[in-house]
Amino acid sequence: MDQRLEGVAVAHAVNVLLSGLFHASVLFLVAAGLQVVFGVQKIFNLACGSFYALGAYVGVSAVGWYVGAGGPPALFIVPLALAGLAVGAVGVVVERGLLRFVYDRDETFQLLMTFAIVLMMEDAIRLTWGTAPRSTGGLYLAYGQVRLFGATVPVYNLVVIAASLAIALAIGWLLARTAFGRIIRATADNREMAEALGVDMRRVYAKVFTLGTALGTLGGALVIPATAAMSEMGIELIVEAFAVVVIGGLGSMRGAFVGALVVGILRAIAISVYPELEMLLIYLIVIAVLVARPRGLFGGAAA
Amino acid sequence: MTRIHDTTSRRQFMKVLGAGAGVAAATLLDVRASHAQSTGPVKVGVLVIRAGVAAPVGAAGLRGTEWWAERVNKAGGILGRPVQLVVEEESNPKDTVERYRKLVLQDKVDVVVGGISTGVTLALGPVAEDLGTPWLSWDGTTQKGVEETMPNPKWAFKSVDNEVEAIVAGILTPKYFKGIKTVAGIGNDYSYGHDCWESYQAVLKRYIPDVKFVLELFPKLGVTDFTSHIAAIQQSKADLLMCSFWSGDATIIMKQAAAVGLFKTMKGVFTTAGGVHDSLKKDFTPEGLLLGYNTMYFDDPKASPLLKQFVREYKAKYNEYPPYECDHAFFNAESYKVAVEKAAGPAKKWPEKAQVVRALEGLEIESLSGRRSWREDHVQMCNFYQGITTHKNGYDFVTIDPIEMVSTKQAMKPAGSKLFEWINGWKV
Repeated sequence: MDQRLEGVAVAHAVNVLLSGLFHASVLFLVAAGLQVVFGVQKIFNLACGSFYALGAYVGVSAVGWYVGAGGPPALFIVPLALAGLAVGAVGVVVERGLLRFVYDRDETFQLLMTFAIVLMMEDAIRLTWGTAPRSTGGLYLAYGQVRLFGATVPVYNLVVIAASLAIALAIGWLLARTAFGRIIRATADNREMAEALGVDMRRVYAKVFTLGTALGTLGGALVIPATAAMSEMGIELIVEAFAVVVIGGLGSMRGAFVGALVVGILRAIAISVYPELEMLLIYLIVIAVLVARPRGLFGGAAA
Repeated sequence: MTRIHDTTSRRQFMKVLGAGAGVAAATLLDVRASHAQSTGPVKVGVLVIRAGVAAPVGAAGLRGTEWWAERVNKAGGILGRPVQLVVEEESNPKDTVERYRKLVLQDKVDVVVGGISTGVTLALGPVAEDLGTPWLSWDGTTQKGVEETMPNPKWAFKSVDNEVEAIVAGILTPKYFKGIKTVAGIGNDYSYGHDCWESYQAVLKRYIPDVKFVLELFPKLGVTDFTSHIAAIQQSKADLLMCSFWSGDATIIMKQAAAVGLFKTMKGVFTTAGGVHDSLKKDFTPEGLLLGYNTMYFDDPKASPLLKQFVREYKAKYNEYPPYECDHAFFNAESYKVAVEKAAGPAKKWPEKAQVVRALEGLEIESLSGRRSWREDHVQMCNFYQGITTHKNGYDFVTIDPIEMVSTKQAMKPAGSKLFEWINGWKV
């Protein structure tokens, strides 16, 4: 192969890999929120996608306000991330106001409840922000582009990937090294025992659900400069996040990380090599994992 | 369903009661009913998509209808009767058919307007025929793919064929982009996306016989990350990208394509992105793309006073600039009004529904976008607006200059013909 062609092939490989990593970063944040809630509260929270959409809309508004107030564009990520984190507080309201009433109910009832939250949030978003797509305009390119092995990459995509990685490490640290992390793991492992040892389950549930919510809202806020907010944007992601947790293993944080990487990168490769396979490939892997390792790659581990 | 049964059984009960009390009583009841119908408000049933990707399109259609109703009522209604809108939701085919039945049977509307998704309107067509009340579709056809399923309807009035804007774009592509040899396509993975791509290819091949179609991508409706698709498009090295997105995904792909400088080396045709035109900010939407606005272009310097007034009031009320769905909705409602007045004749007697339908056939009226008409076989005839994106305007989003206007007379298959045979028979 001549050198120029080789260069083109490398540039394309970098493009595919980075687009896959970018997608995986967002998927990870949403799936991580799903996992932490399922690990501790044993509730499969469909509303994780809605929290993602909420974070995106709040992010658009926060950045709009920030730019309107004359803030330097280069620092827009600060109000964006803060807004994304802050709106995670809606998790307390949902947990205390709705979810705590269904902890002892049947799983299908819990699932229905979180689905009801999905529908309500979609309407609430439409009422608040209207129906037209919302975006942060040209801020996406505020950090410019870089050339990596011949490929043009928006720096903001790298920021999202780095932020997601940092959050993954922070969660790992939180779970492994802090007292709160130990309580989470203990509760996930054996709720009765943890309660008998004096853990205040109400507070743990409220905190864990808020953590899960904040991961979703932060994910939505971080990704929004690169895309546009649409009220139904959460639904699409729930389906993919579901594939991620099945591959990775329900309740496992490491599983969410690896699952997101597998789904994100394979999707990118499929689109570039054989686009008809885009979604099919992911489900083929889900089936393969379910057959070979029904509990997922990292299933069984507490967190 | 239950409610409809309830009404039916109640009515049956009344009839039995009427028979028991004597024929005269029953006749009296009937007379009262028909009397009430031609003096009270004109009830216009409106089907509106409220949720999901098409919710903004539904909102625009409803806004156009409401604006029309206010305007008509201010001017004294239709033959002196005020207009009353009865709004129901368009969702999936099964539920929408139920709501359509409710509008006709329970609310006793005089006409139904609305319908956007062809998946839904395909199911509504036969129901409208069955119930014998005129139905005027905003944006939905009764086509399966590019084939008409109801060539001779009596009560159903349908939108333009779905693939027209792709055909218009196919006609305009060789005019604005010289030397195109390879083309990549991206559209949503359902009938509209596939039909547009097939039609665009067929048309372009007529103008550029040796053109190669090197890539086709069909992501699902509602996807919000196209970075991987864009990597594939870059890799295809096509001279031109054709995209038939019409919702927020058009905004997103534009943004993500700009971020990697895609349109620095590639031409772009966005057949339908005018549906979200005011989200196509100059920050990321380049000049020089072919952009389609469907049947209404809000910023046309040759716009009629009616359109100028509408754009002004729409902006004042919603802080947005109106997309094309407003025009479909306005045309449907206004053509119903004109047909009623025409059928009423000099006596100004409220016409039967069947008379209204006959008056609609072939009717041409003034809509927001200019003159629009109903073809004899109940398909909308109008003009499509497309043009080359420019930053030279007072907005923060792109507009088009020059503006091309292509009539459905040129770009829509004639009644009864097969699409691809028709295209292949063109003299180019």
